[in-house]
Amino acid sequence: MGAGKLQVALYWGAACGGCDVAVLDTNEFILEVAKVADIRFWPIAVDGKYQDLEAMADGELDLTLFSGAVRNSENEHIARLLRRKSKLLVAFGSCAHLGGIPGLANLSSREAILATVYQGGPSLEPGSSAVPQTVTAVNGYELELPAFYPRVYRLADVVDVDYFVPGCPPAPAQVKSVLLAVVKGELPARGAVVGAGERTVCDDCTRTKSAKAVKRFFRPWEIIQDPERCLLEQGILCLGSATRSGCGVRCPNSNQGCRGCYGPAPGAVDQGAKFLSAISSIIDSKEPREIEAILGGLPDFVSFAYRFGLPASRLQRRHGG
Amino acid sequence: MSELRIGVYVCNCGTNIAHVVDAEALLAYAAELPGVAVARGYRYMCSNPGQEMISHDIRELGLNRVVVAACSPRMHERTFRTACRNAGLNPYLCEMANIREQCSWVHSDRAAATEKAKALTRGAVLRVARNESLEGLTADMCPTTLVLGGGIAGLTAALELAEGGVPVVLVEKAEQLGGNLARVDLTAPYFYSARDLLRERLMRVQENSNVTVHLRSQLTSLTGFVGNFDAEIGGNGSSTTSVRVGNVIVATGYREFDAERVTHFGWGKLPNVITSFEFECMLRGGRIEMKDGRLPQYAAIIHCVGSRSAEFHGYCSRVCCMTALKYAHEIKSAVPGCYVSDLYIDMHAFGKGCEDFYRRSSEAKTLFLMYGKGERPVIRRAAAGDDCDMLIEVDEQLSGERIEIPADLVILMVGMEARPDAAEVAHTVNISQDKDGWFIESHPKLDPVATTTDGVYIAGTCASPKDIPDSVAQARAAAGRILARIAKGKIEIDGVFAEVNEALCSGCRICNELCPYSAIEYDLETRRSHVIPAACKACGACVAGCPAGAIKGRHFTDAQIFAQIEGVLV
Amino acid sequence: MSYEPRIVGFLCNWCSYTGADLAGTSRIQYPANVRIIRVMCSARVDPTFVVHALAEGADGVLICGCHPGDCHYSEGNYKTMRRYPLLKRLLAAYGIEQERVRLEWVSASEGQRFADIVADMTERLRALGPCRVRSGLEADLLTR
Repeated sequence: MGAGKLQVALYWGAACGGCDVAVLDTNEFILEVAKVADIRFWPIAVDGKYQDLEAMADGELDLTLFSGAVRNSENEHIARLLRRKSKLLVAFGSCAHLGGIPGLANLSSREAILATVYQGGPSLEPGSSAVPQTVTAVNGYELELPAFYPRVYRLADVVDVDYFVPGCPPAPAQVKSVLLAVVKGELPARGAVVGAGERTVCDDCTRTKSAKAVKRFFRPWEIIQDPERCLLEQGILCLGSATRSGCGVRCPNSNQGCRGCYGPAPGAVDQGAKFLSAISSIIDSKEPREIEAILGGLPDFVSFAYRFGLPASRLQRRHGG
Repeated sequence: MSELRIGVYVCNCGTNIAHVVDAEALLAYAAELPGVAVARGYRYMCSNPGQEMISHDIRELGLNRVVVAACSPRMHERTFRTACRNAGLNPYLCEMANIREQCSWVHSDRAAATEKAKALTRGAVLRVARNESLEGLTADMCPTTLVLGGGIAGLTAALELAEGGVPVVLVEKAEQLGGNLARVDLTAPYFYSARDLLRERLMRVQENSNVTVHLRSQLTSLTGFVGNFDAEIGGNGSSTTSVRVGNVIVATGYREFDAERVTHFGWGKLPNVITSFEFECMLRGGRIEMKDGRLPQYAAIIHCVGSRSAEFHGYCSRVCCMTALKYAHEIKSAVPGCYVSDLYIDMHAFGKGCEDFYRRSSEAKTLFLMYGKGERPVIRRAAAGDDCDMLIEVDEQLSGERIEIPADLVILMVGMEARPDAAEVAHTVNISQDKDGWFIESHPKLDPVATTTDGVYIAGTCASPKDIPDSVAQARAAAGRILARIAKGKIEIDGVFAEVNEALCSGCRICNELCPYSAIEYDLETRRSHVIPAACKACGACVAGCPAGAIKGRHFTDAQIFAQIEGVLV
Repeated sequence: MSYEPRIVGFLCNWCSYTGADLAGTSRIQYPANVRIIRVMCSARVDPTFVVHALAEGADGVLICGCHPGDCHYSEGNYKTMRRYPLLKRLLAAYGIEQERVRLEWVSASEGQRFADIVADMTERLRALGPCRVRSGLEADLLTR
């Protein structure tokens, strides 16, 4: 351990590893970080054991970037452990911040998911019925597996979180700015969203915006889009107006509608509900049957509007904040 | 925010509230709510002592929020806001909990009603904690007034204003002024000549340089807000006139019920069955006669044609009874030998001089025959040998017998109904129609000429069937209101409007199309949208529609409503 | 104590709130289960209010506006109407029964109609039981 160096940990709960890759995508900057920080724990990149964490004193870590959601008892256990051991615990990336894509599992149930994966899948041998158990006897030993929870939680549902870095994954430029802010001690008040803007994606998007009145919604492949014009106006679903800025408009700039990974705008309580209101507002019709027909062009609206934030929605979040 | 000091006042409203809601229990409950500094009750909070109690507590106890649990805010929100303002507290820091119209008057279970009153009060307390002081704005008041309709009401209103020094733009759809009254000969009960009444008005209108008349014209669009409306007037085919006006009086009148719809009266088939208006035409021509020129020996007048009927219109058209008696008199004087029968359901003789008129009619030997509501006198052609043209069969109520009366001339007292273009007018000026198509006033008892759209007034029969005195009274009332407004010089715009927070607005422009008043503008330079406060009516459509939560609906903010939701779910 | 459904009602000032007041002046009786929140126009009703009410413990949410064509603010009720289908889809996704959120048009003269709607909705919610969303959140395994 270098004297005066920041003690840093990174962990992944129910995660894909993309947030860890985003940290590495800061390229040479990571070498600068290595000069001022000791990475004490980072399962994907650095060898280590849970015992190393347990051996640390409380608050010994200056910073932990926790990515991934909380889906099983192991995630929860380590989340609580890291909270005790860290001065600053940051929910890093959409899954930790809002629940992320894994959060869509909350539209189903544990039983249904396990049945699909272990009992009903087309790639399984007929008659397969074994579902993972928390304790299994094997050769005279007891094998323990973490308990699979009935629903997905975001990090803040389980422990107090100091800061939230949104994104799936957070844009590398933003990762850099957050790390620099930590190093310089320039963070805002606790509980803030950092590494992001204070408006919505529309603010940074250079497409022209005018009157919005949509008579039909299109899947991206159904229409030759005008690259200069607002996607939503063209009937292409884009969550940008309901999504916090900071990602650099990477999806609309690639001619895809924003998918909302940076979470709700600063002034919004529930991203999906707000987008519901906005998209309904721009439907150009007053006739109920026509409205239903236009809405028919929206595939699985709920999954679209809550792709990254279902566990954080007003009806699912475990605590008010 | 400094410490909250909320005063909660529970009104007993005599026994209206107190006999169902346990006011004592409610007071005790309210006193324990967060931020409540004092909870007091009184018999009638809206009374002077009641208001004084609030004012006193604001001053002496340093209250900075007030909740009054009482009747509907639609009754007394203004009263309590004024009491607060007079005591030095911003009126928007006052909330009401409706524990009368929406609680004690609609529930009989004392326990349930009290629990609900507690919930509603808690909702108001939590909400008022989030209320903010709001100040209004002032705007200019353009004195020019638009009057729609050149009938007796419109002419009266126009003159009242013009003679008060106000420029008036009078818009009439037809080729000439006068409206339905121009089709009438004499009026009941005093037999004044309608022509004389109108001629007097018309001359004064023509001579008054303050009045600009547009004939064969209609109002095609009205934008803006009170004191500052932009009206577009179109004449068929010809160019549009644009004029800035401060207020509008809608006096577009009525249309008579189409007698053809009542098939058992045979109008349109039997030549001597005519409507009241057709009879007026005959009276103006100076001779009462049958279709073939003969003088009638038997005349019958039938009341309530199209009115007071489950099949057509349920309401009473108000003027027909006295007009029918007028016809009875006129037939008797013009054709002394004629037997006049008057078939009525009830005799509505409510106005000044009307009961005397009725008595004189019966003394003049008109035969009054009462038939039942919902019943059908049937008219058919008489046989060749009968000494009359038609026979009317009716179940007469007072004798209890089914009788047949002869008639050579039948006058159908057709009722009033809303004009077919009333819906278009209502939409253009942004007022509402009731289920019968009449324009809706701000309050049926207390505010009969104003509407819920500030600056737009209604007068005369377009609001409901009425006689000339009432039409004239309403026209003068509307004119008087406007003159008072003009005298004040400026208008005050409510402090409640929507506001875009530019720090949160990203210029997505989803709100732009949501405003029915075009009160939202987009700035191409700053790439942000903003609301014009004076044009905003505070409906909240943009507030709810903004995907970024960047628009604040003053006095109906998200925070206030969330707090109220949490409060009522105790 | 047996379950009594709690309904949060959002009523627009000009039509439905006045209609509810009319039920009062006419002394028309209806169940005490609804708690009314006044807004100026039904268009102010943000779907976030509906989810907030359900999350806070409401068993049902009633939204009332003016009849189409009669909105005091011209077309506010059409905006409310347009939000409704997607709101229904949201409820379905959460497993919340459709009857729990209801949109009705009530005019200023329809006191009886308002009372009938409240009575009907109360009965339906009584039969459905408490809204499970609230109780679902309690059934988790987190140790805190």
